[in-house]
Amino acid sequence: MTERSIAVVTAGLSQPSSTRLLADRLATATRDALLQGGDEASIHVVELRELATDIAHHLVTQVPGAALRSALDTVRSADGLIAVTPVFTASYSGLFKSFVDVIGNEDLVGLPVLLGATGGTERHSLVLDYQMRGVFAYLRALPAPTAVYAASSDWGSGDGHLGRRIERAAGEFAELVAGRTPPRPSTSDSGLTSVPFEQLLTGE
Amino acid sequence: MQFGIFSVGDVTTDPTTGTTVSEHERIKAMVAIALKAEEVGLDVFATGEHHNPPFVPSSPTTMLGYIAARTRNLILSTATTLITTNDPVKIAEDYAMLQHLADGRVDLMMGRGNTGPVYPWFGQDIRNGIALAVENYALLRRLWREEVVDWEGKFRTPLQGFTSTPRPLDGVPPFVWHGSIRSPEIAEQAAYYGDGFFHNNIFWPMSHTKQMVQLYRNRFEHYGHGPADQAIVGLGGQVFMRKNSQDAVREFRPYFDNAPVYGHGPSLEDFSAETPLTVGSPQQVIDRYASMREHVGDYQRQLFLMDHAGLPLPVVLEQIEMLGSEVVPVLRAEMAAGRPAHIPDAPTHASLKAAGRRHA
Repeated sequence: MTERSIAVVTAGLSQPSSTRLLADRLATATRDALLQGGDEASIHVVELRELATDIAHHLVTQVPGAALRSALDTVRSADGLIAVTPVFTASYSGLFKSFVDVIGNEDLVGLPVLLGATGGTERHSLVLDYQMRGVFAYLRALPAPTAVYAASSDWGSGDGHLGRRIERAAGEFAELVAGRTPPRPSTSDSGLTSVPFEQLLTGE
Repeated sequence: MQFGIFSVGDVTTDPTTGTTVSEHERIKAMVAIALKAEEVGLDVFATGEHHNPPFVPSSPTTMLGYIAARTRNLILSTATTLITTNDPVKIAEDYAMLQHLADGRVDLMMGRGNTGPVYPWFGQDIRNGIALAVENYALLRRLWREEVVDWEGKFRTPLQGFTSTPRPLDGVPPFVWHGSIRSPEIAEQAAYYGDGFFHNNIFWPMSHTKQMVQLYRNRFEHYGHGPADQAIVGLGGQVFMRKNSQDAVREFRPYFDNAPVYGHGPSLEDFSAETPLTVGSPQQVIDRYASMREHVGDYQRQLFLMDHAGLPLPVVLEQIEMLGSEVVPVLRAEMAAGRPAHIPDAPTHASLKAAGRRHA
Protein backbone atom coordinates (compact mmCIF):
# COMPACT_ATOMS: atom_id res chain seq x y z
CA MET A 1 0.00 0.00 0.00
CA THR A 2 1.50 3.30 -1.15
CA GLU A 3 0.75 6.53 0.66
CA ARG A 4 -0.22 9.37 -1.67
CA SER A 5 -0.01 12.91 -0.45
CA ILE A 6 -2.94 15.06 -1.60
CA ALA A 7 -2.79 18.85 -1.21
CA VAL A 8 -6.17 20.56 -1.05
CA VAL A 9 -6.12 24.27 -1.86
CA THR A 10 -9.38 26.03 -1.11
CA ALA A 11 -10.01 29.72 -1.72
CA GLY A 12 -13.37 30.11 0.02
CA LEU A 13 -13.78 33.14 2.29
CA SER A 14 -16.89 32.66 4.39
CA GLN A 15 -17.42 30.37 7.38
CA PRO A 16 -18.67 27.82 6.59
CA SER A 17 -17.63 28.12 2.98
CA SER A 18 -19.25 26.11 0.20
CA THR A 19 -15.86 26.10 -1.51
CA ARG A 20 -14.35 24.34 1.50
CA LEU A 21 -17.34 22.03 1.58
CA LEU A 22 -16.75 21.04 -2.05
CA ALA A 23 -13.02 20.67 -1.41
CA ASP A 24 -13.70 18.32 1.51
CA ARG A 25 -16.08 16.21 -0.51
CA LEU A 26 -13.57 15.97 -3.35
CA ALA A 27 -10.85 15.01 -0.86
CA THR A 28 -12.99 12.31 0.76
CA ALA A 29 -14.03 10.89 -2.59
CA THR A 30 -10.38 10.88 -3.68
CA ARG A 31 -9.36 9.06 -0.51
CA ASP A 32 -12.06 6.42 -1.20
CA ALA A 33 -11.04 6.07 -4.83
CA LEU A 34 -7.38 5.67 -3.92
CA LEU A 35 -8.27 3.07 -1.31
CA GLN A 36 -10.10 1.06 -3.93
CA GLY A 37 -6.88 0.95 -5.91
CA GLY A 38 -5.00 -0.13 -2.78
CA ASP A 39 -3.42 3.24 -1.95
CA GLU A 40 -3.72 5.33 1.16
CA ALA A 41 -4.13 9.10 1.06
CA SER A 42 -2.77 11.73 3.41
CA ILE A 43 -4.80 14.91 2.98
CA HIS A 44 -3.27 18.34 3.59
CA VAL A 45 -5.65 21.27 3.44
CA VAL A 46 -4.42 24.77 2.60
CA GLU A 47 -6.97 27.47 3.45
CA LEU A 48 -5.98 30.48 1.37
CA ARG A 49 -8.11 32.78 3.54
CA GLU A 50 -5.56 32.35 6.34
CA LEU A 51 -2.72 33.16 3.95
CA ALA A 52 -4.28 36.23 2.34
CA THR A 53 -1.94 38.81 3.86
CA ASP A 54 1.11 36.57 3.43
CA ILE A 55 0.30 36.18 -0.23
CA ALA A 56 -0.13 39.95 -0.65
CA HIS A 57 3.19 40.61 1.10
CA HIS A 58 4.92 38.03 -1.03
CA LEU A 59 3.61 39.61 -4.22
CA VAL A 60 5.00 42.96 -3.12
CA THR A 61 8.26 41.90 -1.43
CA GLN A 62 9.01 38.53 -3.09
CA VAL A 63 9.51 37.09 0.43
CA PRO A 64 7.13 34.35 1.58
CA GLY A 65 6.13 34.27 5.25
CA ALA A 66 6.55 31.02 7.19
CA ALA A 67 2.92 29.92 6.80
CA LEU A 68 2.93 30.60 3.08
CA ARG A 69 6.27 28.84 2.66
CA SER A 70 4.87 25.76 4.34
CA ALA A 71 1.74 25.89 2.16
CA LEU A 72 3.86 26.15 -0.99
CA ASP A 73 5.97 23.20 0.18
CA THR A 74 2.80 21.17 0.74
CA VAL A 75 1.68 21.81 -2.81
CA ARG A 76 5.08 21.28 -4.44
CA SER A 77 5.70 17.98 -2.69
CA ALA A 78 2.20 16.56 -3.16
CA ASP A 79 1.36 13.61 -5.41
CA GLY A 80 -1.86 15.34 -6.40
CA LEU A 81 -3.54 18.73 -5.98
CA ILE A 82 -7.21 19.45 -5.44
CA ALA A 83 -7.79 23.14 -6.30
CA VAL A 84 -11.14 24.76 -5.52
CA THR A 85 -12.11 28.40 -5.94
CA PRO A 86 -15.27 30.44 -5.67
CA VAL A 87 -16.30 32.29 -8.83
CA PHE A 88 -15.94 36.03 -8.35
CA THR A 89 -16.98 38.37 -11.15
CA ALA A 90 -17.02 35.72 -13.85
CA SER A 91 -13.67 34.15 -12.94
CA TYR A 92 -11.61 32.40 -10.23
CA SER A 93 -11.12 34.63 -7.21
CA GLY A 94 -8.23 37.05 -7.05
CA LEU A 95 -6.91 35.33 -3.94
CA PHE A 96 -6.85 31.98 -5.73
CA LYS A 97 -5.02 33.45 -8.72
CA SER A 98 -2.57 35.31 -6.49
CA PHE A 99 -1.65 32.05 -4.79
CA VAL A 100 -1.16 30.36 -8.14
CA ASP A 101 0.97 33.36 -9.16
CA VAL A 102 3.42 32.75 -6.32
CA ILE A 103 3.84 29.07 -7.16
CA GLY A 104 6.84 28.69 -9.45
CA ASN A 105 6.12 28.14 -13.14
CA GLU A 106 7.87 24.76 -13.04
CA ASP A 107 6.54 23.56 -9.70
CA LEU A 108 3.40 21.80 -10.91
CA VAL A 109 4.75 20.16 -14.07
CA GLY A 110 3.19 16.72 -14.43
CA LEU A 111 1.18 17.05 -11.21
CA PRO A 112 -2.35 15.57 -11.33
CA VAL A 113 -4.89 18.27 -10.45
CA LEU A 114 -8.58 18.01 -9.63
CA LEU A 115 -10.36 21.28 -10.47
CA GLY A 116 -13.39 22.55 -8.57
CA ALA A 117 -15.36 25.78 -8.39
CA THR A 118 -18.44 27.08 -6.63
CA GLY A 119 -20.86 29.86 -7.44
CA GLY A 120 -24.34 31.22 -6.89
CA THR A 121 -25.63 30.08 -10.25
CA GLU A 122 -24.89 27.34 -12.80
CA ARG A 123 -24.24 30.05 -15.38
CA HIS A 124 -20.59 30.27 -14.38
CA SER A 125 -19.75 26.60 -14.64
CA LEU A 126 -17.56 26.96 -17.75
CA VAL A 127 -15.11 28.94 -15.60
CA LEU A 128 -13.62 25.54 -14.90
CA ASP A 129 -12.86 24.59 -18.45
CA TYR A 130 -12.26 27.98 -20.02
CA GLN A 131 -10.27 29.65 -17.25
CA MET A 132 -8.98 27.31 -14.56
CA ARG A 133 -8.01 24.54 -16.95
CA GLY A 134 -6.07 27.03 -19.04
CA VAL A 135 -4.02 28.19 -16.06
CA PHE A 136 -3.03 24.63 -15.19
CA ALA A 137 -2.35 23.80 -18.82
CA TYR A 138 0.08 26.72 -18.85
CA LEU A 139 1.76 25.29 -15.75
CA ARG A 140 1.91 21.92 -17.56
CA ALA A 141 0.02 20.19 -14.75
CA LEU A 142 -2.34 17.27 -15.46
CA PRO A 143 -5.93 18.34 -14.77
CA ALA A 144 -8.33 15.39 -14.51
CA PRO A 145 -10.84 15.28 -17.39
CA THR A 146 -13.84 15.91 -15.12
CA ALA A 147 -13.91 19.14 -13.11
CA VAL A 148 -16.64 19.78 -10.56
CA TYR A 149 -18.75 22.90 -10.34
CA ALA A 150 -21.24 23.27 -7.48
CA ALA A 151 -23.90 25.99 -7.68
CA SER A 152 -26.09 27.03 -4.75
CA SER A 153 -28.89 24.95 -6.24
CA ASP A 154 -26.72 21.82 -6.10
CA TRP A 155 -26.41 22.01 -2.33
CA GLY A 156 -30.16 22.14 -1.88
CA SER A 157 -31.12 19.44 -4.33
CA GLY A 158 -31.38 15.81 -3.39
CA ASP A 159 -31.02 14.55 -6.94
CA GLY A 160 -27.54 13.15 -6.43
CA HIS A 161 -26.08 14.82 -9.54
CA LEU A 162 -23.35 16.63 -7.59
CA GLY A 163 -22.42 13.45 -5.76
CA ARG A 164 -22.09 11.54 -9.00
CA ARG A 165 -19.92 14.24 -10.57
CA ILE A 166 -17.69 14.28 -7.50
CA GLU A 167 -17.32 10.54 -7.60
CA ARG A 168 -16.47 10.48 -11.30
CA ALA A 169 -13.96 13.33 -10.99
CA ALA A 170 -12.29 11.79 -7.93
CA GLY A 171 -12.10 8.43 -9.69
CA GLU A 172 -10.27 9.94 -12.66
CA PHE A 173 -8.02 12.01 -10.40
CA ALA A 174 -7.09 8.99 -8.26
CA GLU A 175 -6.10 7.06 -11.39
CA LEU A 176 -3.81 9.91 -12.42
CA VAL A 177 -2.31 10.15 -8.91
CA ALA A 178 -1.62 6.42 -8.98
CA GLY A 179 0.16 6.85 -12.29
CA ARG A 180 -2.51 5.29 -14.43
CA THR A 181 -4.78 6.59 -17.19
CA PRO A 182 -8.48 6.98 -16.34
CA PRO A 183 -10.30 4.08 -18.03
CA ARG A 184 -12.41 4.59 -21.14
CA PRO A 185 -16.08 3.68 -20.77
CA SER A 186 -17.06 0.50 -22.52
CA THR A 187 -18.40 1.18 -26.00
CA SER A 188 -19.82 -2.24 -26.69
CA ASP A 189 -23.01 -1.98 -28.73
CA SER A 190 -25.35 -4.11 -26.68
CA GLY A 191 -28.54 -2.20 -27.54
CA LEU A 192 -30.49 0.35 -25.52
CA THR A 193 -31.28 -0.05 -21.87
CA SER A 194 -33.70 1.76 -19.64
CA VAL A 195 -34.53 2.27 -15.99
CA PRO A 196 -37.21 -0.01 -14.51
CA PHE A 197 -40.47 1.91 -14.69
CA GLU A 198 -41.30 1.47 -11.00
CA GLN A 199 -38.21 3.56 -10.35
CA LEU A 200 -39.35 6.28 -12.77
CA LEU A 201 -42.78 6.31 -11.13
CA THR A 202 -41.36 6.97 -7.72
CA GLY A 203 -39.15 9.68 -9.17
CA GLU A 204 -35.88 8.14 -8.05
CA MET B 1 -52.43 -3.37 -39.98
CA GLN B 2 -53.48 0.28 -39.93
CA PHE B 3 -52.29 2.85 -42.45
CA GLY B 4 -52.80 6.55 -42.13
CA ILE B 5 -51.65 10.12 -42.36
CA PHE B 6 -50.06 12.32 -39.73
CA SER B 7 -49.62 16.04 -40.04
CA VAL B 8 -47.53 18.56 -38.15
CA GLY B 9 -49.69 21.38 -39.48
CA ASP B 10 -46.88 23.68 -40.56
CA VAL B 11 -47.54 26.84 -42.55
CA THR B 12 -44.60 26.88 -44.95
CA THR B 13 -44.10 28.99 -48.05
CA ASP B 14 -44.29 26.97 -51.25
CA PRO B 15 -40.70 27.40 -52.49
CA THR B 16 -41.73 26.94 -56.12
CA THR B 17 -44.29 29.76 -56.16
CA GLY B 18 -43.49 31.89 -53.11
CA THR B 19 -47.11 31.47 -51.99
CA THR B 20 -47.88 31.14 -48.28
CA VAL B 21 -51.33 29.95 -47.29
CA SER B 22 -53.14 31.64 -44.42
CA GLU B 23 -53.68 29.87 -41.12
CA HIS B 24 -57.33 29.57 -42.06
CA GLU B 25 -56.47 27.90 -45.37
CA ARG B 26 -54.01 25.55 -43.66
CA ILE B 27 -56.53 24.48 -41.03
CA LYS B 28 -59.12 23.81 -43.72
CA ALA B 29 -56.48 21.95 -45.73
CA MET B 30 -55.80 19.64 -42.79
CA VAL B 31 -59.51 18.84 -42.67
CA ALA B 32 -59.59 18.21 -46.43
CA ILE B 33 -56.60 15.88 -46.04
CA ALA B 34 -58.35 13.92 -43.29
CA LEU B 35 -61.52 13.60 -45.37
CA LYS B 36 -59.43 12.43 -48.33
CA ALA B 37 -57.77 9.83 -46.11
CA GLU B 38 -61.17 8.37 -45.29
CA GLU B 39 -62.32 8.58 -48.91
CA VAL B 40 -59.36 6.54 -50.19
CA GLY B 41 -59.69 3.89 -47.51
CA LEU B 42 -56.94 4.84 -45.08
CA ASP B 43 -57.51 3.99 -41.42
CA VAL B 44 -56.05 6.84 -39.38
CA PHE B 45 -55.67 10.61 -39.38
CA ALA B 46 -53.44 12.04 -36.68
CA THR B 47 -52.76 15.70 -35.99
CA GLY B 48 -49.77 17.16 -34.22
CA GLU B 49 -50.03 19.63 -31.36
CA HIS B 50 -48.06 22.85 -31.46
CA HIS B 51 -48.29 26.15 -29.66
CA ASN B 52 -46.11 28.36 -31.76
CA PRO B 53 -45.99 29.66 -35.33
CA PRO B 54 -45.57 28.46 -38.05
CA PHE B 55 -47.84 25.63 -36.84
CA VAL B 56 -51.64 25.80 -36.62
CA PRO B 57 -52.88 22.77 -34.64
CA SER B 58 -52.94 24.07 -31.05
CA SER B 59 -56.37 22.59 -30.33
CA PRO B 60 -56.40 18.99 -31.57
CA THR B 61 -59.75 17.88 -30.15
CA THR B 62 -61.55 20.84 -31.76
CA MET B 63 -60.19 19.80 -35.14
CA LEU B 64 -60.70 16.08 -34.59
CA GLY B 65 -64.26 16.64 -33.37
CA TYR B 66 -65.05 18.52 -36.56
CA ILE B 67 -63.50 15.77 -38.68
CA ALA B 68 -65.37 13.13 -36.66
CA ALA B 69 -68.66 14.72 -37.69
CA ARG B 70 -67.72 14.48 -41.34
CA THR B 71 -66.33 10.93 -41.43
CA ARG B 72 -67.64 7.46 -40.63
CA ASN B 73 -64.71 5.08 -40.39
CA LEU B 74 -61.53 7.05 -39.91
CA ILE B 75 -59.73 6.66 -36.56
CA LEU B 76 -58.90 10.10 -35.19
CA SER B 77 -55.62 10.32 -33.42
CA THR B 78 -52.79 12.64 -32.52
CA ALA B 79 -49.22 12.73 -33.70
CA THR B 80 -48.41 14.07 -30.28
CA THR B 81 -50.49 15.05 -27.29
CA LEU B 82 -48.27 17.01 -24.98
CA ILE B 83 -48.43 15.01 -21.77
CA THR B 84 -45.82 17.32 -20.25
CA THR B 85 -47.39 20.76 -20.62
CA ASN B 86 -51.11 19.91 -20.81
CA ASP B 87 -52.98 19.37 -17.59
CA PRO B 88 -53.77 15.64 -17.50
CA VAL B 89 -57.21 16.52 -16.15
CA LYS B 90 -57.96 18.49 -19.30
CA ILE B 91 -56.60 15.72 -21.54
CA ALA B 92 -58.83 13.21 -19.76
CA GLU B 93 -61.89 15.42 -20.28
CA ASP B 94 -61.18 16.54 -23.85
CA TYR B 95 -60.43 13.10 -25.26
CA ALA B 96 -63.30 11.41 -23.44
CA MET B 97 -65.61 14.05 -24.93
CA LEU B 98 -64.12 13.43 -28.38
CA GLN B 99 -64.54 9.69 -27.91
CA HIS B 100 -68.29 10.14 -27.32
CA LEU B 101 -68.73 12.45 -30.30
CA ALA B 102 -66.72 10.14 -32.57
CA ASP B 103 -68.44 6.98 -31.31
CA GLY B 104 -65.15 5.56 -30.13
CA ARG B 105 -63.05 6.26 -33.25
CA VAL B 106 -60.33 7.87 -31.11
CA ASP B 107 -56.90 7.04 -29.84
CA LEU B 108 -54.01 9.31 -29.00
CA MET B 109 -50.26 9.46 -28.90
CA MET B 110 -48.44 10.89 -25.92
CA GLY B 111 -45.37 12.99 -26.59
CA ARG B 112 -43.19 15.31 -24.56
CA GLY B 113 -42.68 18.01 -27.15
CA ASN B 114 -39.14 18.85 -28.05
CA THR B 115 -39.29 22.64 -28.00
CA GLY B 116 -37.79 24.07 -24.81
CA PRO B 117 -39.62 27.40 -24.84
CA VAL B 118 -43.05 25.72 -24.87
CA TYR B 119 -42.67 24.44 -21.32
CA PRO B 120 -42.59 27.80 -19.51
CA TRP B 121 -45.59 29.02 -21.54
CA PHE B 122 -47.54 26.40 -19.63
CA GLY B 123 -45.78 26.82 -16.30
CA GLN B 124 -43.38 23.90 -16.72
CA ASP B 125 -39.66 23.29 -17.15
CA ILE B 126 -38.21 21.12 -19.93
CA ARG B 127 -35.70 19.64 -17.50
CA ASN B 128 -38.65 17.86 -15.87
CA GLY B 129 -39.77 16.49 -19.26
CA ILE B 130 -39.54 12.79 -18.43
CA ALA B 131 -40.78 13.20 -14.86
CA LEU B 132 -43.79 15.19 -16.14
CA ALA B 133 -44.56 12.55 -18.76
CA VAL B 134 -44.42 9.83 -16.11
CA GLU B 135 -46.47 11.57 -13.41
CA ASN B 136 -49.07 13.17 -15.70
CA TYR B 137 -49.73 9.98 -17.59
CA ALA B 138 -50.10 7.96 -14.39
CA LEU B 139 -52.77 10.46 -13.33
CA LEU B 140 -54.45 10.47 -16.75
CA ARG B 141 -54.85 6.70 -16.61
CA ARG B 142 -56.48 6.88 -13.19
CA LEU B 143 -58.85 9.65 -14.27
CA TRP B 144 -60.13 7.45 -17.09
CA ARG B 145 -60.27 4.25 -15.07
CA GLU B 146 -61.43 5.34 -11.64
CA GLU B 147 -64.72 7.13 -11.04
CA VAL B 148 -63.47 9.09 -8.04
CA VAL B 149 -59.83 10.06 -7.79
CA ASP B 150 -57.81 11.23 -4.79
CA TRP B 151 -54.40 12.19 -6.00
CA GLU B 152 -51.29 14.10 -5.04
CA GLY B 153 -48.13 14.57 -7.07
CA LYS B 154 -45.25 16.93 -7.69
CA PHE B 155 -46.46 18.94 -10.67
CA ARG B 156 -50.10 19.94 -10.24
CA THR B 157 -52.48 20.76 -7.42
CA PRO B 158 -53.81 17.71 -5.56
CA LEU B 159 -57.22 16.27 -6.39
CA GLN B 160 -59.70 15.18 -3.77
CA GLY B 161 -62.78 13.21 -4.70
CA PHE B 162 -62.45 14.34 -8.30
CA THR B 163 -64.47 12.79 -11.12
CA SER B 164 -63.41 13.51 -14.69
CA THR B 165 -66.41 13.95 -16.99
CA PRO B 166 -67.64 12.65 -19.30
CA ARG B 167 -66.61 9.15 -18.36
CA PRO B 168 -64.92 7.28 -21.26
CA LEU B 169 -67.35 5.84 -23.80
CA ASP B 170 -68.60 2.41 -22.65
CA GLY B 171 -66.15 2.66 -19.75
CA VAL B 172 -63.30 2.01 -22.21
CA PRO B 173 -60.48 4.58 -22.17
CA PRO B 174 -59.00 5.49 -25.55
CA PHE B 175 -56.02 3.38 -26.57
CA VAL B 176 -52.76 5.22 -25.98
CA TRP B 177 -49.54 5.21 -27.96
CA HIS B 178 -46.36 6.67 -26.57
CA GLY B 179 -44.23 8.44 -29.10
CA SER B 180 -40.55 8.89 -28.51
CA ILE B 181 -37.60 9.25 -30.79
CA ARG B 182 -34.66 8.95 -28.42
CA SER B 183 -35.77 8.37 -24.81
CA PRO B 184 -35.59 4.79 -23.56
CA GLU B 185 -37.68 5.88 -20.55
CA ILE B 186 -40.70 6.38 -22.80
CA ALA B 187 -40.30 2.99 -24.47
CA GLU B 188 -40.14 1.66 -20.90
CA GLN B 189 -43.33 3.54 -19.99
CA ALA B 190 -45.23 2.18 -23.00
CA ALA B 191 -44.04 -1.33 -22.14
CA TYR B 192 -44.94 -0.99 -18.45
CA TYR B 193 -48.58 -0.19 -19.21
CA GLY B 194 -48.87 -2.49 -22.22
CA ASP B 195 -49.65 0.58 -24.34
CA GLY B 196 -48.54 1.12 -27.92
CA PHE B 197 -45.12 2.49 -28.85
CA PHE B 198 -44.74 4.72 -31.86
CA HIS B 199 -41.30 5.49 -33.19
CA ASN B 200 -41.45 8.56 -35.34
CA ASN B 201 -38.46 7.61 -37.39
CA ILE B 202 -38.78 10.13 -40.22
CA PHE B 203 -35.45 11.74 -39.38
CA TRP B 204 -33.71 8.59 -38.16
CA PRO B 205 -31.87 5.63 -39.61
CA MET B 206 -33.46 2.21 -39.25
CA SER B 207 -30.62 1.00 -37.00
CA HIS B 208 -31.81 3.44 -34.31
CA THR B 209 -35.52 2.71 -34.80
CA LYS B 210 -34.76 -0.97 -34.50
CA GLN B 211 -33.01 -0.49 -31.13
CA MET B 212 -35.86 1.57 -29.67
CA VAL B 213 -38.52 -0.88 -30.85
CA GLN B 214 -36.51 -3.83 -29.58
CA LEU B 215 -36.17 -2.23 -26.15
CA TYR B 216 -39.94 -1.65 -26.05
CA ARG B 217 -40.71 -5.19 -27.14
CA ASN B 218 -38.34 -6.75 -24.57
CA ARG B 219 -39.74 -4.66 -21.74
CA PHE B 220 -43.36 -5.33 -22.87
CA GLU B 221 -42.66 -9.01 -22.36
CA HIS B 222 -40.80 -8.30 -19.09
CA TYR B 223 -43.88 -6.58 -17.64
CA GLY B 224 -46.03 -9.57 -18.48
CA HIS B 225 -48.21 -8.23 -21.28
CA GLY B 226 -47.39 -11.10 -23.60
CA PRO B 227 -44.54 -12.15 -25.84
CA ALA B 228 -42.39 -9.40 -27.35
CA ASP B 229 -43.74 -9.95 -30.84
CA GLN B 230 -47.24 -9.12 -29.61
CA ALA B 231 -46.31 -5.61 -28.49
CA ILE B 232 -48.08 -2.80 -30.39
CA VAL B 233 -45.70 -0.91 -32.63
CA GLY B 234 -46.19 2.05 -34.96
CA LEU B 235 -43.77 3.73 -37.35
CA GLY B 236 -43.64 7.01 -39.20
CA GLY B 237 -42.90 7.43 -42.86
CA GLN B 238 -42.62 10.03 -45.55
CA VAL B 239 -43.16 9.62 -49.29
CA PHE B 240 -43.65 11.54 -52.50
CA MET B 241 -44.70 9.68 -55.63
CA ARG B 242 -45.02 10.09 -59.35
CA LYS B 243 -45.47 7.41 -61.97
CA ASN B 244 -41.87 7.95 -63.05
CA SER B 245 -39.46 8.19 -60.18
CA GLN B 246 -37.41 10.92 -61.92
CA ASP B 247 -40.52 13.10 -62.04
CA ALA B 248 -41.09 12.55 -58.33
CA VAL B 249 -37.53 13.57 -57.49
CA ARG B 250 -37.64 16.61 -59.78
CA GLU B 251 -40.94 17.84 -58.36
CA PHE B 252 -40.22 17.15 -54.69
CA ARG B 253 -36.62 18.40 -54.55
CA PRO B 254 -37.37 22.11 -54.06
CA TYR B 255 -39.75 21.24 -51.21
CA PHE B 256 -37.16 18.97 -49.66
CA ASP B 257 -34.36 21.50 -50.04
CA ASN B 258 -36.35 24.21 -48.26
CA ALA B 259 -38.32 22.09 -45.80
CA PRO B 260 -38.46 23.10 -42.16
CA VAL B 261 -36.20 20.98 -39.92
CA TYR B 262 -34.11 19.17 -42.53
CA GLY B 263 -34.04 21.71 -45.39
CA HIS B 264 -30.72 23.34 -46.28
CA GLY B 265 -29.06 20.24 -44.87
CA PRO B 266 -28.41 16.82 -46.38
CA SER B 267 -29.17 16.06 -50.00
CA LEU B 268 -32.44 14.39 -50.95
CA GLU B 269 -30.43 11.34 -51.99
CA ASP B 270 -28.50 11.04 -48.71
CA PHE B 271 -31.60 11.67 -46.62
CA SER B 272 -33.54 9.04 -48.59
CA ALA B 273 -30.79 6.51 -47.98
CA GLU B 274 -30.61 7.22 -44.23
CA THR B 275 -34.30 7.68 -43.36
CA PRO B 276 -37.61 6.20 -44.52
CA LEU B 277 -38.18 9.13 -46.92
CA THR B 278 -38.97 7.58 -50.28
CA VAL B 279 -39.31 9.77 -53.34
CA GLY B 280 -40.09 7.78 -56.45
CA SER B 281 -42.67 5.53 -58.05
CA PRO B 282 -45.49 3.87 -56.09
CA GLN B 283 -43.68 0.57 -56.55
CA GLN B 284 -40.55 1.98 -54.89
CA VAL B 285 -42.65 3.11 -51.94
CA ILE B 286 -44.24 -0.33 -51.70
CA ASP B 287 -40.85 -2.04 -51.76
CA ARG B 288 -39.40 0.24 -49.10
CA TYR B 289 -42.28 0.04 -46.65
CA ALA B 290 -42.93 -3.68 -47.17
CA SER B 291 -39.40 -4.22 -45.88
CA MET B 292 -39.87 -2.26 -42.62
CA ARG B 293 -41.06 -5.31 -40.72
CA GLU B 294 -37.80 -7.07 -41.48
CA HIS B 295 -36.21 -4.56 -39.10
CA VAL B 296 -38.82 -4.05 -36.37
CA GLY B 297 -40.96 -7.18 -36.66
CA ASP B 298 -44.62 -7.33 -37.68
CA TYR B 299 -46.17 -4.06 -36.59
CA GLN B 300 -49.56 -2.48 -36.26
CA ARG B 301 -49.60 1.07 -37.56
CA GLN B 302 -47.85 2.94 -40.35
CA LEU B 303 -48.40 6.69 -40.61
CA PHE B 304 -47.17 8.84 -43.49
CA LEU B 305 -46.25 12.50 -43.47
CA MET B 306 -47.61 13.86 -46.76
CA ASP B 307 -48.51 17.50 -46.34
CA HIS B 308 -45.58 19.55 -45.09
CA ALA B 309 -42.91 21.84 -46.52
CA GLY B 310 -45.37 24.02 -48.42
CA LEU B 311 -46.73 21.35 -50.78
CA PRO B 312 -49.97 22.75 -52.25
CA LEU B 313 -53.20 21.09 -51.15
CA PRO B 314 -54.16 19.72 -54.61
CA VAL B 315 -50.79 17.94 -54.82
CA VAL B 316 -51.17 16.56 -51.31
CA LEU B 317 -54.67 15.25 -52.08
CA GLU B 318 -53.34 13.65 -55.26
CA GLN B 319 -50.56 12.00 -53.24
CA ILE B 320 -53.03 10.62 -50.70
CA GLU B 321 -55.14 9.33 -53.58
CA MET B 322 -52.13 7.41 -54.92
CA LEU B 323 -51.29 6.18 -51.45
CA GLY B 324 -54.82 4.90 -50.92
CA SER B 325 -55.39 3.39 -54.34
CA GLU B 326 -51.97 2.13 -55.48
CA VAL B 327 -49.75 1.68 -52.43
CA VAL B 328 -51.70 0.74 -49.33
CA PRO B 329 -53.78 -2.10 -50.88
CA VAL B 330 -50.56 -3.79 -52.00
CA LEU B 331 -48.87 -3.13 -48.64
CA ARG B 332 -51.86 -4.57 -46.79
CA ALA B 333 -51.57 -7.77 -48.82
CA GLU B 334 -47.79 -7.97 -48.43
CA MET B 335 -47.90 -7.27 -44.67
CA ALA B 336 -50.62 -9.89 -44.23
CA ALA B 337 -48.61 -12.51 -46.09
CA GLY B 338 -46.53 -14.50 -43.65
CA ARG B 339 -47.85 -12.58 -40.66
CA PRO B 340 -48.23 -15.13 -37.84
CA ALA B 341 -51.79 -15.51 -36.59
CA HIS B 342 -50.84 -14.54 -33.01
CA ILE B 343 -49.72 -11.04 -34.01
CA PRO B 344 -52.49 -8.73 -32.80
CA ASP B 345 -53.97 -5.76 -34.65
CA ALA B 346 -53.78 -2.35 -33.06
CA PRO B 347 -56.49 -2.13 -30.38
CA THR B 348 -59.61 -0.17 -31.33
CA HIS B 349 -62.57 0.91 -29.24
CA ALA B 350 -64.52 -2.13 -30.42
CA SER B 351 -61.74 -4.59 -29.64
CA LEU B 352 -61.05 -3.05 -26.22
CA LYS B 353 -64.75 -3.10 -25.40
CA ALA B 354 -65.01 -6.75 -26.37
CA ALA B 355 -61.89 -7.61 -24.38
CA GLY B 356 -63.33 -5.78 -21.37
CA ARG B 357 -66.50 -7.85 -21.60
CA ARG B 358 -64.48 -11.05 -21.78
CA HIS B 359 -62.55 -10.13 -18.66
CA ALA B 360 -65.59 -8.98 -16.74
